[in-house]
Amino acid sequence: MSAVKKRSKMLNATNKLKNEMGRHFLAIEQAHRDGKPTAWATAGTPVELLYTMGVQPMLPENSATISAALKKSQDFIELAEEEGFSYDLCSYFKTNVGAVLSNADMSLGGTRKPTFMLSSDVICDTHVNWFQVQAERLNVPHFTIDVPHVVSNTTNRQRNYFKKYIIEQLWELLDFITELTGNEYDPEKGKEVALNSFELGKVWQDIFELRKNIPCPVSTRDTFGGLFPLFTMTGLKSPIKLYKRMYKEAKERVDNGIGALEYEEYRLMFEGIPFWYNLKFFSNLERWNAIIVYEPYVYAFTKYTNPNITKNDVINDPVECMAELVLSFWYIYDLETRVKMFKETVKDWKIDGVLLHDNLSCRPNACGMYDLKRRLMEEADIPSLVITADMNDPRKMNETQVLNQIESFIEILRERKKS
Amino acid sequence: MKKLAYFDASIETPEEIILAADFIPVRLFGDPTIGIDKANEHVPPTHCVWARNILEQAIEGFDDDIKGVITTHGCDCTNREFDIWLECVNLDFFFLLNAPLKRNETALKFFINDIKELVIQLEEKFGVNITSTKISNAIKKMNQIRNILREISEYRSKMILKGSDFHALVKMVQQIDKNKALEMLKSKLEELKTQKSHLDNNLKRVLLTGSVIDDTEFIKFLESLGYHIVIDDLCIGTSYFWDNVKENEEPIKALAQYHLNKPHYSTKFPSYKRFETIKALAEKYNVAGVINIAQKFCEPVLYTHPYFNKKFKELEIPYLFVEMEYNRESYKQLITRFEAFAEII
Repeated sequence: MSAVKKRSKMLNATNKLKNEMGRHFLAIEQAHRDGKPTAWATAGTPVELLYTMGVQPMLPENSATISAALKKSQDFIELAEEEGFSYDLCSYFKTNVGAVLSNADMSLGGTRKPTFMLSSDVICDTHVNWFQVQAERLNVPHFTIDVPHVVSNTTNRQRNYFKKYIIEQLWELLDFITELTGNEYDPEKGKEVALNSFELGKVWQDIFELRKNIPCPVSTRDTFGGLFPLFTMTGLKSPIKLYKRMYKEAKERVDNGIGALEYEEYRLMFEGIPFWYNLKFFSNLERWNAIIVYEPYVYAFTKYTNPNITKNDVINDPVECMAELVLSFWYIYDLETRVKMFKETVKDWKIDGVLLHDNLSCRPNACGMYDLKRRLMEEADIPSLVITADMNDPRKMNETQVLNQIESFIEILRERKKS
Repeated sequence: MKKLAYFDASIETPEEIILAADFIPVRLFGDPTIGIDKANEHVPPTHCVWARNILEQAIEGFDDDIKGVITTHGCDCTNREFDIWLECVNLDFFFLLNAPLKRNETALKFFINDIKELVIQLEEKFGVNITSTKISNAIKKMNQIRNILREISEYRSKMILKGSDFHALVKMVQQIDKNKALEMLKSKLEELKTQKSHLDNNLKRVLLTGSVIDDTEFIKFLESLGYHIVIDDLCIGTSYFWDNVKENEEPIKALAQYHLNKPHYSTKFPSYKRFETIKALAEKYNVAGVINIAQKFCEPVLYTHPYFNKKFKELEIPYLFVEMEYNRESYKQLITRFEAFAEII
């Protein structure tokens, strides 16, 4: 292992993210001051509909990542465990429980009490259970969207009635919000928000397209760091500007043959949620001139990954589009589609190896990972490595062990390059 | 006769559809005596041990008569592992039945559509004709079974039938030909009617709840420590025969209604509602305590435990929560906890 630590170059624009986050938290504070409705929402729910209905969203899982980055998550998690929540439950959930119990400030990952909560089982049952726990404790209403599970042998006929079921629930959600807040659904506002959401997703996808270049102009420092607005601010105009600046800067790098890493030797894919308490871990890869050029988890939240959904569809019927997008969400792809998409991505982004995070807090994402690894190796001849850790609980990551695994993995990649 | 298996983390599989397709429905259970090395090649060891156990059996191969499997939407583990089954299990037919998370008219409409889809796929795959009449006949038969099971269940609280014997009975009904099951149940009921209360009145009368508890040896283990399970809300228990399916309704709609009207399991929303069922049963059967068992990594039960704990404390009903490995050796490690609880109640 090289003793010299290198640092990939971060885009200047990414630094402006703090302003966006500040804007978001300010909007939450303002909503509270003004008595405007607010809602907690889980990732994967159509936040756009909240903005359309004049409801200020807050995503506790994003707040949980802030706690982790500030080395606070373990304290919060242990507080939740003292309340009887198992060591084996989701660390985002427990971070949130602990943060609320501690009355933590938003800058430390705390959240404001919302008018209501919106969850969905599209990603996991945990989201639904989490908000059930907190809705009862905070005594607020809770609406959940049930998303049928698409599997490898789901037929188009099934998808049609799955979608219909989601559309009906989305309209029920809008009625629920109207009843609670008095705010009515405005189709014009719906279109405006949907268009912003579409544009935000597309610019982010364009940034990913640039990462196909060798050397790769954008590192995980920008992608993990820049992810926040895709969860919380999708539907607003301001983050689009930020992403466009990121794109412009990345494009300049491409045009000038500049990479995020000084010397790029190995191009990797990282699947799963990162270790938010230890993002510097990814800098370790740079010791071996390795760079992550694609993260399916990050790409998933661009939402508009279904080629059948066009800009016109989004504008014409935002609610129907949201239903379709929920069903074709990258992060929950069935195993067969996941294998197919990974193989295509590996080829298009010229990836040398795949790192798969067996995340102890995200069993739905980790499920199928062993088969994914096997098939990538057998069918695409791509070295793949499963790393076991946790997204928000530092107690569950053995950094030395993981680094040793990765070092051996890089050794394999090196040997392959030679031959 | 050909069989169709179902893998269900609660109990929302409409067995009547399988019967109407001329198959014997066979519920899949774990086997805590086996190793699960093959399943561990596909699923991380920190995922539900019970689901991995069943996957292991599936990879090894079921009885040749089993032609396919229906996985019914339960928890993240059972849902997600469906694709893994497609990868490594050798069967002719696989269907994921999306039993809805919620309970309302929209969910009912959806569930009806999904059951209809199951019918279509069974007909297409096996060339059978699943008519309304056949489903209605199956409903009648299953209702007879449910009626008798409800009656037999009461003999637990009459201190005539041991909880372990009842558990074994329900388990058997979920695995054998329903005609044979019906005969067996009729005969058992007649036998019970002739008996007087004979179980030791000093036994601790408890309610059992929690994850899928399918090892009858575990119930026997509890009995060996002085407990008597007078009632439960388990899927290998009262949830299997809670009510009857309406016989005067369009049969698929009636089946969907039946499953959505049953008490909430921890896998459904809002799972806190399960507490209401347990509370009502605990009061009705005047139990001395409630035992809640979570199989290791069983998230739905783990999420509800602190709430149940709080609520039972408020009611001053003794409550014991135990997280358990799925192997018999591990039962012995729990002796002290169970003995201590027995002392308290």
